[in-house]
Amino acid sequence: MGVSITFASAPSGAEALAVGVRPGLAPCATAAAGERGRLLTRALAGKHRFKGEEGDVRPVLTPDGWLVAVGLDEADDQDAAALRRIGAALFAELADSGITHLDAALDLAADEAAELAYGLVLRAWRIPQRYRLHPDPDTEWSLEAVTVVSPDPEASRRHFARLEAVAAAVAQARDLVVAPANALTPQAFADRLSDLFPLGVAVEILDAKALAKQGLNLLLAVGRGSARPPLLACLRWNGAADAEAPPIAFVGKGITFDTGGVCVKDGEDMAEMKGDMGGAATVFGLMAALARRRAKVNAVGVLAIAENMLSGRAQRPGDVVRAYNGTMVEVVDTDAEGRLVLADALAWTARTCRPAALIDLATLTGAVETALGKKRAGLFASDDALAEQLAAAGEAEEERLWRLPLTDLYDEDLKSAVADLRSCSWEDRAPDHLHAARFLQHFVPGDLPWAHLDIAGTAEAGEDEDGDEPFTGPGPTGFGIRLLDRWLAERHEE
Amino acid sequence: MKISFAKSALPAEGALVVGILEGGALTATAARLDEACGGTLTRAIAASRFEGKKDQSLLLVAPAGLTVSRLLLLGLGKGEKVDALAAEAFGGGAVAQLAAAGDAQMAIAVDAVEGSTLTAAALAAHVALGARLRSYRFDKYRTTEKKDEKPSVKKVAVLVDDPAAAKKLYAPLEAVADGVFLTRDLASEPANVIYPESLAEQAKALADLGLEVEVLGEKQMKKLGMGALLGVGQGSERESQLAVLRWSGAADKEAAPIAFVGKGVTFDTGGICLKPAANMEDMKWDMGGAAVVIGLMKALALRKAKVNAVGVVGLVENMPSGTAQRPGDVVTSASGQTIEVINTDAEGRLVLADALWYTQDRFKPRAIIDLATLTGAIIVSLGSHYAGLFANDDALAGQLTAAGAAVGEKLWRMPVDDPYDKQIKSEIADMKNVGEGGAGSVTAAMFLKRFIKDTPWAHLDIAGVTWAKKDGPVTPKGASAFGVRLLDRLVADQYEQK
Repeated sequence: MGVSITFASAPSGAEALAVGVRPGLAPCATAAAGERGRLLTRALAGKHRFKGEEGDVRPVLTPDGWLVAVGLDEADDQDAAALRRIGAALFAELADSGITHLDAALDLAADEAAELAYGLVLRAWRIPQRYRLHPDPDTEWSLEAVTVVSPDPEASRRHFARLEAVAAAVAQARDLVVAPANALTPQAFADRLSDLFPLGVAVEILDAKALAKQGLNLLLAVGRGSARPPLLACLRWNGAADAEAPPIAFVGKGITFDTGGVCVKDGEDMAEMKGDMGGAATVFGLMAALARRRAKVNAVGVLAIAENMLSGRAQRPGDVVRAYNGTMVEVVDTDAEGRLVLADALAWTARTCRPAALIDLATLTGAVETALGKKRAGLFASDDALAEQLAAAGEAEEERLWRLPLTDLYDEDLKSAVADLRSCSWEDRAPDHLHAARFLQHFVPGDLPWAHLDIAGTAEAGEDEDGDEPFTGPGPTGFGIRLLDRWLAERHEE
Repeated sequence: MKISFAKSALPAEGALVVGILEGGALTATAARLDEACGGTLTRAIAASRFEGKKDQSLLLVAPAGLTVSRLLLLGLGKGEKVDALAAEAFGGGAVAQLAAAGDAQMAIAVDAVEGSTLTAAALAAHVALGARLRSYRFDKYRTTEKKDEKPSVKKVAVLVDDPAAAKKLYAPLEAVADGVFLTRDLASEPANVIYPESLAEQAKALADLGLEVEVLGEKQMKKLGMGALLGVGQGSERESQLAVLRWSGAADKEAAPIAFVGKGVTFDTGGICLKPAANMEDMKWDMGGAAVVIGLMKALALRKAKVNAVGVVGLVENMPSGTAQRPGDVVTSASGQTIEVINTDAEGRLVLADALWYTQDRFKPRAIIDLATLTGAIIVSLGSHYAGLFANDDALAGQLTAAGAAVGEKLWRMPVDDPYDKQIKSEIADMKNVGEGGAGSVTAAMFLKRFIKDTPWAHLDIAGVTWAKKDGPVTPKGASAFGVRLLDRLVADQYEQK
């Protein structure tokens, strides 16, 4: 992980000390103590932008070393979410400040100190250096270690252990999303899953032969054009007391690279397509988080992994393919491939794993970004209670969702002249994300609570600094792990 | 098409429509007919795939044993699902099938339906509304159309046991239909006929119904500081207008009104950021929001609604020319806030910004609702089955959604909150008129929100629903007037004294 965290009952004497300041420049106890209070008051007086509000971070050089004023906002507003944001802001501000070791003495309670540390580690991720020969000096970080002062370091450690499991999973998922497509091929993705063995996750892989035998022809059709065959991975974590209890199932779209196939994308759109496996990365990360924190729940993660290439073997627009559940599908646009692999994965998961609820994540459509931008993912659900629970978990974790219509009103647009169903509509300005969601619904049993998260807009944060999510620089977010982990913890864990 | 109500005696001539319930159960009139003609109906149903499902129909021409020219059996669906919307679809379906069949008159028989919560009279009123709404046709510019292509039906009689009760229930619905027709006319008219001044004239003509109508010209708007609205119109030869329509129907004429604000871009070329030629003709209906507000005010006046309501429409033509505004221009709105115009084709929000501010400032309304064919993004976001609803008030949003569901004008709520606010930050002014990073409808709503004070506010982005590409149950292809019925219903349910 990008920064190492320790908890201690007093500052370790590091080269820099972060202290808390509330609005009106009211210093917390540590900040006010002795000479420090006087220095800080003098440094922050005058026309500074530092107001002691959430997100304000100001390092001040004193004769004793760096003193970092950290805005904490009013004590009443100091909830877990705010502390995480403050931790993230603190890391972002000091990452390349030259400070290597920081003592954070913000006069927080034990669990609050852990939440602050969670924000720090979530923000302390960047693209791994393994793709460079020479580290980029412009992006080198100095901050390596933070000692967080807590009235009860042991209690903080316990609280943090659970959060750290999630943060580590988020970092793993982000690593996968930025991995170039020549490094993260379908097989390489499958190989990575063995990282989860030591944690107690069972991994089953269906290779192309097995897919053919079982009839996952849509997944095979998407992968046909590539020299690297597709596969389906099934991860199982049985943490509930009753290992036979029906699991909660998660399905992720894992297109390791999406050229668009024969309906090839233009160059500009194609650059980001190594990240078209963001849904699968999130499912992988979620399973890792559950296993690391020994979650008392049975969960299944299914990854539909393929590379969408154009070649003499590739599928063509107009091809008709028999889906795993028997539905005959007319492939309209080979670049609407995500819904094809998901359709088979959803039907397979429903039949094979008999889950109590089914949730899929996919970087599925450009239309969802037109609708909701990068601040919210599209939520489609067959079940109102499930939709509300997920939306609430998303707000709490700042992985926001917005529910969009899942309705038969769009069936007419998905009617095929030759088959049972077509994969999309060619109509200009069609609501493709609504079509896609409705398409997927045909592959999910009607009585199974199901939700579909279209994360095409949120899987990666924007380039614009103002557009950053609090816990991410520009780049992959790992969107969905925190939200689903919370949802499971709140709703399904014993 | 003239609509009347009459006793349920079977007509001797013309076309006759009767309902059949799902499963083939004959309604009372259908049973009487079947008996009169010796079982023809039962035989016809048995010999066909017609099962009485909603939207199914079976047409019998010159049915044996009857004197009517045509008998249309129309599916009602399941009895317990026959509500106002189903009745309207039934009336609309009858007109769609028979209006041009050749008969001059048609009768629609309406019976009590077992399982329905509505009386026969109420069903009849809604059948009549559906027939009327579906009969709309904008054909004034067709001069060479052959007679047999024109609708033949001149009179529709709705047959029901208690015609007096049905007529009474129909009166307010007819007022709404009249409002809908005005809105459809205004949106259908080409931009060489409907431009800011001529549209303002149309609003003024409603003074006959007891509405107070004022029209502000460019000079007055300049005095009020409406730089955002005026900037949009400055490329056109046509003078921009702001029309204010007031209906004071509440017992207390001074009580705070509910306000409706409409975008009235009578033609939108895009301005200097010119749109591509393909489909630019659609931009004649970029005044769809204003047309709804005007039609709604007409409906409220016609049915003498017990409410104080204000309608404000900002009327401009967005043209490229030597005087047109340019990308990068900074304009000052009536609120004092400055706007960097990044894209001259994101003009609707500029017009609304000043109209919304003016309306709140002057009328201090209880609630303010704007309608606009605002963004292409909403078409992608929700397709053509829902309009986008943005609101700063959950109660108002809930009331609007319920009203929409009741009249078949569906709304879907979209977000309008802080995470999106940064997307319209400008480097030079208080805000810019287009956002970055997707969510184009949301950032447009965020823009409007900056011109709302503490008033409960809702914004309906109707770009995807204003013009129907296909026939609907009660809306022929073309201008839909989406919003008139919905807002009339909102007023009736939430703002009128009972």
